[in-house]
Amino acid sequence: MSDPLEENSEGGAPISLSPPERAVLVALRNAPSLPLEEEDVVRESGLAADTVRGSLQRLRSKHFAVVDEEHLTVRSPSPRGRSALEVGLPERRFLEALRRRGGSLSSEEATAEGLSDEERSAAVGILRRRQLLADGFPFRLRSPKDDEDRLLPEEVVLKQLANGEEDLDEAILAALERRGLVRSEHRTVRRWAPSEEGRRLPLSAEGQELSGAVSPADLVSGAWKGRTYRPYDVRAPVPYARGVRENPYVAWLDEFADILVGLGFEEATGPLLETEFWNNDVLFMPQDHPARSIHDAFWPEGVTGRPPAADLLARVAAAHEGRALPGETAPLGPGWGGRYDETVAIRPVLRSQTTAVSARYLARHPTPPFRTFSIDRNFRVESVDARHHLEFQQCEGIVGEEGVTLRHLVGIFRELTEAIGIPELKIRPSYFPFTEPSIEGYVRHPRLGWIEALPGGLFRPEVLQPLGVEVPVAAWGIGVTRLAMVALGKGDIRELFSDDLDELTRGGA
Amino acid sequence: MPVSTLSAERLRSLLTLPLSDLALDDLLFASKAEIETREGDALTLSVTPDRLDLLSEGGLSFYLAGATDAATGLPRLHEVPNPPSRTLSVDASVVPLRPYISAVVVNAPAGGTGLDDGTLAESIRFQELLHATIGRDRRAASLGIYPVERLEFPLRYASEPLSEVRFVPLDGSEEVGAEQFFADHPMAARYSALGRSDGHCLTLRDGNGIVLSLPPILNGRTAGEARLGDRSLLVGATGTRERAVQELVGLLLAVFAARGWSVAPVAVVSPGGSRSAGNGVYQPRSVLLPSAVLRGITGEPLAPAEIERRLGRARLAPRPHSGGWMVEVPPWRPDLLTPVDLAEDVVLIAGVRPQDGILLPSRTRGRRLAETRFRRRMRSTLTGLGFAEPHTPLLVSAETLERAGDSGALRLRNPVSAEFSVLRDRMLLSHLDVLRRNTRHGYPQRFAEVGPVIVRSDQAESGGETRYHAGLVIASETAGFADVASLVDYLLRSVDVVAVREPIERTALIPGRAARARVAGESIAELGEIQPRILVELGVPVPAAWAEVDLTGLWTLLGRHDSP
Repeated sequence: MSDPLEENSEGGAPISLSPPERAVLVALRNAPSLPLEEEDVVRESGLAADTVRGSLQRLRSKHFAVVDEEHLTVRSPSPRGRSALEVGLPERRFLEALRRRGGSLSSEEATAEGLSDEERSAAVGILRRRQLLADGFPFRLRSPKDDEDRLLPEEVVLKQLANGEEDLDEAILAALERRGLVRSEHRTVRRWAPSEEGRRLPLSAEGQELSGAVSPADLVSGAWKGRTYRPYDVRAPVPYARGVRENPYVAWLDEFADILVGLGFEEATGPLLETEFWNNDVLFMPQDHPARSIHDAFWPEGVTGRPPAADLLARVAAAHEGRALPGETAPLGPGWGGRYDETVAIRPVLRSQTTAVSARYLARHPTPPFRTFSIDRNFRVESVDARHHLEFQQCEGIVGEEGVTLRHLVGIFRELTEAIGIPELKIRPSYFPFTEPSIEGYVRHPRLGWIEALPGGLFRPEVLQPLGVEVPVAAWGIGVTRLAMVALGKGDIRELFSDDLDELTRGGA
Repeated sequence: MPVSTLSAERLRSLLTLPLSDLALDDLLFASKAEIETREGDALTLSVTPDRLDLLSEGGLSFYLAGATDAATGLPRLHEVPNPPSRTLSVDASVVPLRPYISAVVVNAPAGGTGLDDGTLAESIRFQELLHATIGRDRRAASLGIYPVERLEFPLRYASEPLSEVRFVPLDGSEEVGAEQFFADHPMAARYSALGRSDGHCLTLRDGNGIVLSLPPILNGRTAGEARLGDRSLLVGATGTRERAVQELVGLLLAVFAARGWSVAPVAVVSPGGSRSAGNGVYQPRSVLLPSAVLRGITGEPLAPAEIERRLGRARLAPRPHSGGWMVEVPPWRPDLLTPVDLAEDVVLIAGVRPQDGILLPSRTRGRRLAETRFRRRMRSTLTGLGFAEPHTPLLVSAETLERAGDSGALRLRNPVSAEFSVLRDRMLLSHLDVLRRNTRHGYPQRFAEVGPVIVRSDQAESGGETRYHAGLVIASETAGFADVASLVDYLLRSVDVVAVREPIERTALIPGRAARARVAGESIAELGEIQPRILVELGVPVPAAWAEVDLTGLWTLLGRHDSP
């Protein structure tokens, strides 16, 4: 089987020619003189005109043929003009009728001579402008001896045009065109020649028959055997493909979770609509803390909450009020002062920190060791801008066992930022009611500069002991949305809530 | 975060060493204060809520002097005795409304000019900041500053009938009755609930009966206005929370202590007749720092000398004590109450660097929740079925809720905008918005999302249960019921579940083309063709079909459980 592909002149990937293209290129290369017009190629190649036309264009797009285009206006007698040449122009027939009628002709007689009203009035107009016809009725010649042929140049020019003569009087041609006896056509004359590439292209054995599509019938019949399929121009443009895949941000969150799983963390979960008890009280947030106000947290209407287990509620209340926990003799600290209000504790609130999930986990599993995480939504009263959204994801995590220190928390921050490709991290003091000490890790965003993203600390005894936890616990609530902005190169937090289907199906990094 | 604007010049005047802007930036990054803006002399700082002292030039100067080793240990606050007559008696009538009061006298250093512009400006600014923060807008506690030279002791704090109270308000020139004051004055309009009850109002009067103030609303002009050149001032606070009252006085003392003012007690006689010396509000408190607590946080033993050096730089005064240190804490550091609070200061004053971090070997096995993995598989299946995956907020607009109808969705009491005012109970609410926002793109459109919804539930502790739904939408010239019905069947089949469909009526769906899918009697999915009315409102030019599978319900039906 011969190779149907031709090597292109640059020695690169093979270029394919269809059999007609090959035949046309051969015709161009073998022509005794160049350039050739299309009809010459038709004659030389023996192919149909349409096939030649298409092949020439494809050879041109493949840079194997060049074309010189000339735009022409071509005039020819119209069907009416050809008819007039056979029976005579109306003015000629009018003159002949006049002669037959002895030099005088009425309108009725002209009709009787076979001239329509339109032809008669056209003939009279022309003959009078030529000064051949006298004014008045019936119609009479001004001078019977005039040389009529000389005086009817339209007739002469129309005959010359029909005979293919060139360089005719433009004004008379234009007049004939206005009378509908001549028509103009705008034509492009293409003259073809092989390009240098086309001359050099080594053509494989001729006569090889190439097939187009693989048809089901061929497969069934076995006709495909021994058949060579016409190669395609693999560089040709193709339709714009669209596809779907996981949402990049959601997928990124999954990858982040996988990193934590790899570090030995077990996933935990909790409700988005919480009670103030789990969202704040159990975390030793004072009940009149500003972050708990209606200006900072979202409160739903039309629902009421229930208190947690009575013993847990009593222990948390004792921590807030600075009393010894039930069964203990000394208080953990002075508490927040004032009375702990259980009606505040049962108020429903949209969760404002995933730390509530950790608290629920610790309440269920107070026995160490534990490493848990939760990546989930939180809600805070915020004005929406490039850095803030009232709905955002946090990655909450805790590590609890004997010997856990602040340095281990810093180690986790470093491990996580390195794992997602954020090289720069710096740490400064911070404050959270439920951790002491409290720190905040900052990461550098290429456009926004240093942004705070990794808050954390060691849970206070006032958090741990009411929950029955007796080992130190490092905790953090990473602004994973902000980390995603850095990792995904987003400059606006709103871009992460993406529902632009065009963008989601376009592909790309 | 609390924010306030300090004077850079006044701050520098309190420091013994010159400090460049760059050096100040670095020092503050390592502190709990942060520079927000710097314009000329105006230095706007934010601080964490536990370190309000850093928002006074006095308190910040103490910190910076320690951090640069220019001065260490407890800042000096010179105490002078007061005459025994300097007392403040508290009448039992204040107990129901605002029972706590505390006061001290501060005296200008000898030889100076007394109260100057800068000190006056800072004390007023800092006082307002304290009202807004610890004072909870004066509800918990509020401060007042009074000229000792223009008042007579003993003072009396009481609740009196409005008709018996007359005074010249601080911003006025005419004496007015309390009834008129509460009727007319804007400060009274804002705070009257805190200082007036049942035809009575709180008063602080001096020994001559002159009204110093109507706590916590406004000072009187005669004996309640501090002026330039005053050499002795009464700093007092009233409130509903005793600790907040003490904290406010202690914090404001930083302003005066940094400028060398001395302090003297004002004895308080309680309604029961007991008398307290009044010096507890400014004398250093002692807080124990056991070595074990510190080591538990740092993870490494620090030499005793290093611990004492760090505490000194934090402007605290440690002395060795059994098993650790007893640390003296100044009155403007109310955040230092327990051992872990002190341990934090020891750690943070030395700075925390990323390279100090160490990785703790794992003694646990990491895993995702089985239910999360189930939802992930469903997402993956939907992607495989050719659905794009948007990520939409849980909060949706009230307009969308009205459009879709049939909803018991919870609304927010305090939405910040109509756009985010409803907690979706179906993904459909978000997905109608996705359709609306994508009308400029071509069709067909196919998208699906697995996300949380919140539904009312008596079983849930908060009254609302978080569930996860998979919502999917097809919008195309040929989209119809059969398309989404077959997809629901496919999703259920992927977990070996077969559902039975039955007709339902939904406002958002075309009647006769809406169904629910039941499995073992439980409704697991709803589906149908979206009403043309809604499509026209959204600007969608083609039919659209929708389905939503309750993945939480399906997971429960499958009988698989997590123990998160």
